[in-house]
Amino acid sequence: MANLREIKTRIESVKSTKQITNAMKMVAASKLRKAQDNIINARPYSDHINQMLQTLKNKNISSDHPLLAEATGKGKTAYVVVTSDRGLCGSFNTHIIKEAIAHHKENPDADLVCIGKKGYDYFKKHSTKVTENYINLFNEMDFSVSGDVAEKILSLFLDENYDKINVIYNEFKSAIRHDIVVKQLLPIVPIESEKNSKLDYVYEPDEDTIIFELGIKYIHVDIWRIMLESSAAEQGARMTAMDSATENAAELIDRLTLNYNRARQAAITTEIIEISSGAEAIQQ
Amino acid sequence: MSKIHIKVIQPTQIRIDKECDHLIIPGVAGDFGISFDHTPFITKIRIGVLQLFQNEYCEEYAIHDGFVTVENNVVTIVCDTIEKKNEIDIARANASRKRAEKRLKSSEENINFRRAESSLKKALVRLGLNSE
Repeated sequence: MANLREIKTRIESVKSTKQITNAMKMVAASKLRKAQDNIINARPYSDHINQMLQTLKNKNISSDHPLLAEATGKGKTAYVVVTSDRGLCGSFNTHIIKEAIAHHKENPDADLVCIGKKGYDYFKKHSTKVTENYINLFNEMDFSVSGDVAEKILSLFLDENYDKINVIYNEFKSAIRHDIVVKQLLPIVPIESEKNSKLDYVYEPDEDTIIFELGIKYIHVDIWRIMLESSAAEQGARMTAMDSATENAAELIDRLTLNYNRARQAAITTEIIEISSGAEAIQQ
Repeated sequence: MSKIHIKVIQPTQIRIDKECDHLIIPGVAGDFGISFDHTPFITKIRIGVLQLFQNEYCEEYAIHDGFVTVENNVVTIVCDTIEKKNEIDIARANASRKRAEKRLKSSEENINFRRAESSLKKALVRLGLNSE
């Protein structure tokens, strides 16, 4: 049986780990609340941009605009993989990376763009070529930061003849659930909105200019939304992971305490036997 | 009751949501006024000043990069940045004006002229609004 002091140090160390995981859980919970607010606040903006784009697209169906034209199947494909910058969030990153690898195997010529340090580190380690990477963006989430990413992705699409750009990310469902989403980012597929305006608008300067500018804005907003979703999902995953870590630590402490008490009792018993048998020996 | 509902939506919040008598918006093809019963209209905004008129009182905002939709007397503006006169950081605008001017004057080739030009315009609008 392990000696008393060993068990005692072990208990102390598990206790301090438990404190840390508990604190991380609290931090993740408060960050999650903020991230959820961000998602809700971003909604009116993206809804409106989407609605405008939908109206425009319905109007000139024959438009073979570069941002909206259907993918031809020829040319390069790229995957944007959104992971977190930090670990300790359960299976959040591993699932995304697995999904990305599956897609990459199917389509070995596809290029990779990584948002988030974890994904980038993984592919770098396994010597897979990463075309672009953005790390440590999630610390200071700002619309202009995601704007830079969007601009780069747009320039890839427009200038380097990519046929299709897909994005793989975690979509936030609830604090304990997030789903992996693989979605086509470019060419743009506007979501059908129920509020479809039948009005005949006057456009200034003209439809084509507006549709192009709006398309660019749409990508900005979409990247922003994806990053918000991913960061909310990350905090949710971290909260759940840290919650179960705290629970496990508590369980471990209970078990170790039990062992400690047993060992202590055994030691006392041995001592009493030693004393009493010593006393008996003297009496005889 | 010939009021126009004006809504300004930013990526992080709904900034303005109220009624006004009429307004003047800086469009790409020039400033335009919106009064009651305007025709359905969509345009892009240029860097400039948005004016809201309500009972002879005028509110001014510095605004850049966005889109306007006008329909059924509801004006919806989606834009990245909008600042009221008293929110503008004059020192920052001045500094950004100087930086942009320096960049535009420099003969280096690897500068982004479009970006420098737009930041100069933004700074000038901000400063112009405060000098009146």
